[in-house]
Amino acid sequence: MHSINPMVVDLSRFQFALTALYHFMFVPLTLGLTFFLAAIETVYVVTGKQVYKDMAQFWGKLFGINFAIGVATGITMEFEFGTNWSMYSHFFGDMFGTPLAIEGLMAFFMESTFVGLMFFGWDRLSRQAHLAVTFLVALGSNLSALWILVANAAMNVPQGAHFDPDTMRMQSDSIVQVIFNPDAQAKFVHTSVAGYVTAAMFVMGISAFYILQGRNKEFAARSFRMAAIFGIISTVAVITLGDVLGRLDYEHQPTKIAAIEGLWENSHPPYEPWLAFAIPDDEKQKNHLEVGIPFVLSPLVTHSFDTTIIGMKELQTQAEPRITSGIQALVALHHYDQTHSATALAEFRAHEADMGFGFLAMKHAPGQDVAAITEDQMQSVVDATKPDILPNVFVTFWSFRIMVVLSLWFFLLFALGAYVSLKNRLNRNHLLLKLCLWSIPLPILATEFGWITAEAGRQPWTVFNFLPTYLSASSHGVSYMVFSLAGFALLYSIFIAAELFLMFKFARLGPEHDAHHAQSASVHVVPDDVFVTGMGD
Amino acid sequence: MQLVRMVGLALAVVVALLFAVFVGDQGPWYFAWVVGTVMIVLTASAGAVLFEAQHQGSEVKDI
Amino acid sequence: MDYYEVVKLIWGALLCVLFIGLGLMVGMDMGVGTLLRLVGRNDGERRTMLNIIGPHWDGNQVWFVLGGGAIFAAFPTLYATSFSVFYVVMIMLLFSMILRPVAFEYRSKADSRRWKASWDWVFLISGFVPMFIYGAAFGNVMQGVGYHYDWLGQYYQDETFLSYLLNPFAILCGLMAVSLSVYQGGAMLMLRSEEPIYGRARRYAMGGGVIAALLFVVGGFRIFSMSGYVLTGTVDPAMAANPMHGQEVARVTGAWLAHYYDYPLLWLFPAFGVISMLAGVLSLKANAPVVGWWGGLGAWIGTIGSVAVSMFPFLMPSSTMPDESLTVWNATGSAYGLTCMLIVVLIFMPIILSYTSWCYYVMRGKVRVEDVVQDPHSY
Repeated sequence: MHSINPMVVDLSRFQFALTALYHFMFVPLTLGLTFFLAAIETVYVVTGKQVYKDMAQFWGKLFGINFAIGVATGITMEFEFGTNWSMYSHFFGDMFGTPLAIEGLMAFFMESTFVGLMFFGWDRLSRQAHLAVTFLVALGSNLSALWILVANAAMNVPQGAHFDPDTMRMQSDSIVQVIFNPDAQAKFVHTSVAGYVTAAMFVMGISAFYILQGRNKEFAARSFRMAAIFGIISTVAVITLGDVLGRLDYEHQPTKIAAIEGLWENSHPPYEPWLAFAIPDDEKQKNHLEVGIPFVLSPLVTHSFDTTIIGMKELQTQAEPRITSGIQALVALHHYDQTHSATALAEFRAHEADMGFGFLAMKHAPGQDVAAITEDQMQSVVDATKPDILPNVFVTFWSFRIMVVLSLWFFLLFALGAYVSLKNRLNRNHLLLKLCLWSIPLPILATEFGWITAEAGRQPWTVFNFLPTYLSASSHGVSYMVFSLAGFALLYSIFIAAELFLMFKFARLGPEHDAHHAQSASVHVVPDDVFVTGMGD
Repeated sequence: MQLVRMVGLALAVVVALLFAVFVGDQGPWYFAWVVGTVMIVLTASAGAVLFEAQHQGSEVKDI
Repeated sequence: MDYYEVVKLIWGALLCVLFIGLGLMVGMDMGVGTLLRLVGRNDGERRTMLNIIGPHWDGNQVWFVLGGGAIFAAFPTLYATSFSVFYVVMIMLLFSMILRPVAFEYRSKADSRRWKASWDWVFLISGFVPMFIYGAAFGNVMQGVGYHYDWLGQYYQDETFLSYLLNPFAILCGLMAVSLSVYQGGAMLMLRSEEPIYGRARRYAMGGGVIAALLFVVGGFRIFSMSGYVLTGTVDPAMAANPMHGQEVARVTGAWLAHYYDYPLLWLFPAFGVISMLAGVLSLKANAPVVGWWGGLGAWIGTIGSVAVSMFPFLMPSSTMPDESLTVWNATGSAYGLTCMLIVVLIFMPIILSYTSWCYYVMRGKVRVEDVVQDPHSY
């Protein structure tokens, strides 16, 4: 048994967090902008007005700049499970790889194939066929998100799989349970619709910029109107699904919900306050400077006035017997692996449910070998393991609050925007327009913090209650990590610089930049044939 | 041709119904996403169509 | 035969199909990238070349992503071990791969000469390096890789990464993959372009095909004196997928040819590969790029097929702990998981192939320099 280098684990976590958060800066815009483009094209097909084609092409161009980096950085994610999380991939690959592979087959292929036609097919497809292509791109990109979140839900709320002592890994036994995991459902809708919000804010903000400058009025007013309506419904949906996710965490991941709410002791319904502000102290296991709103927490989390939410200290105490039992499970498992004896297997089966806690204790066992723990060491190992079952409370607590506050801000902004646009009073509300412009990056911030809440709150596990994070990493040295981290830092900095340069350039140039081309293209009369107008000759 | 189109439409309706029954039962939120997304797209489109109606015949001045 | 054994075999075969699809489709785009600076002599020509594969490169790239995903799902232990053991090379592959989508989308969106020239170099790197590593990985795997496992299934690397980078046989395989990609990219350019791109692409593609055939034959002779791996004890093909138990493996010189000696009919695979490459080159010479393009498919089938025949049932032998070598029998997912995946493949593969062909159909015809330069939406 080689011992695990904590430095490698930390660097792997750092690299994964960095690359995932970076990837996730671009994904939400893709998820939303595709459906927004489909909405624009729907109007184009219905009304036949040229301005909607200009809109589809202009927003499509900005979509393309964003999409490229989204695709590129997504490849990184698929590699990293193998390159950096070898033990995780071995332990959970049978379960986790399946949704990823289905994602490729069902969604990514569709999205990527049709996105080429979406950009290049304007003159080769009829309006209806092009609209269908755009819808397929939108569907494809969102189905991609679906399968990724199905995989993610399997990490957070594992179901539809069991541990197999003969192969030393989780093996799936019900794909239906994996796909219809309640966590997957809520998370997918929450994430996808958060993408709609991001896209709506993006379009609304840039349109506001044109209106403020007095340019492209025809174009900007229509874009603003559509984005505001797109955004307000989406924001309502995001908040609803956020509430559903909170309920699910309460049922399946008590440590996460307790950390989100900064709840060290058991709650006292009904008057338990919801903490609007606090500085959680992970070391001392208490909060400083608490400011709370009484009577809110219980109904918010449990949808009832009399249910107690278990606090983190109590959760630690409850974990004690599971840690002892988990250690026994691991000892029996190792014994079974060497002898294949039926008694060892029976012993393992008796403690199987707590195996993950045994893995957690491995970190504190002498020589990282649970079999070497003596009678009198046991209590000290259990005591050392106990605090490990909690996530970083400060991070989880605050990222959740930032996300929530931002989502309320979006609600306000979209509601005002939609109202003012429907009343046709946009150019008299410069303050609102400026707020829209400045709010463009905020949904990206909100989705990032949402992601941090979900994944930091999942710690210390990669597979909740089964496999701890520190055990999941690959067994290579620090130098490998330095090499890859340096490369990522360099490449990703270049990417973001190039993308921002182009985004600003084309947003400033505006749709009039390629207007002359659009004029000449509009002379084409499109026949009703679904497939093709002029062939390529 | 007409018949083929009718059969195609009928098939699409059957698939949609089966999807609604199965997914609506197993995964209500997935179903909600499908319905909700279509609604969001169509409502946003309706907003644009309303815009056209509001400004019909006149040049766009007040936006 | 046991059911589990059958699905394992099917997935072994599907893995070959994926590698062939990947080599052909991704290789084609990579070839165009490698050739960009050589065939395109000015901005207009280069943009034309990019727009020839413009509508398709993203779809093709999914073969690559799918390759990773399918190995993850169907061969989790292989995925976990190979990606980690080849860490440095894999990260280099990743870096060069992720530059490509950005290069496509960004190159022609600014008018600065230096901006475009920089991205042109990126195309060269992101065309050459991934194909080279793809081929070199096969070379390394055939020679065996130094790793072993602990009882929980965590791998440990027993060799330095330099032994993968500086390995003559692997370099030969890498160059062969690059040559095939140049061939395929050239054939695609011929299909969609006019002079002068057409003529230059033709020269490079023919060169690529000939070099690929030569390297393939040289590599084939090298196999005679190379160490291969054989299963010694009896192995239960339906065994629980765990490389730590249940097999004994020996390293034997020339063992990779054993299957060919046992079943001489299998020599058809390498023969088919070489013939496809040469016939492809001849049809390019005869200005029949369509035939040439399909010849590329034959070349990949022949190459990957030959490797598969040699190594079966090994996927990635371990040179330091041969008994823990990964094979089709001990590195797969569970029977249930493999079945689910198989059903999904059977449903979606035909759909994918049909809409991909439809895309090529819609975008068919020659791409002209004047059109590309005038269109503000082109690459």
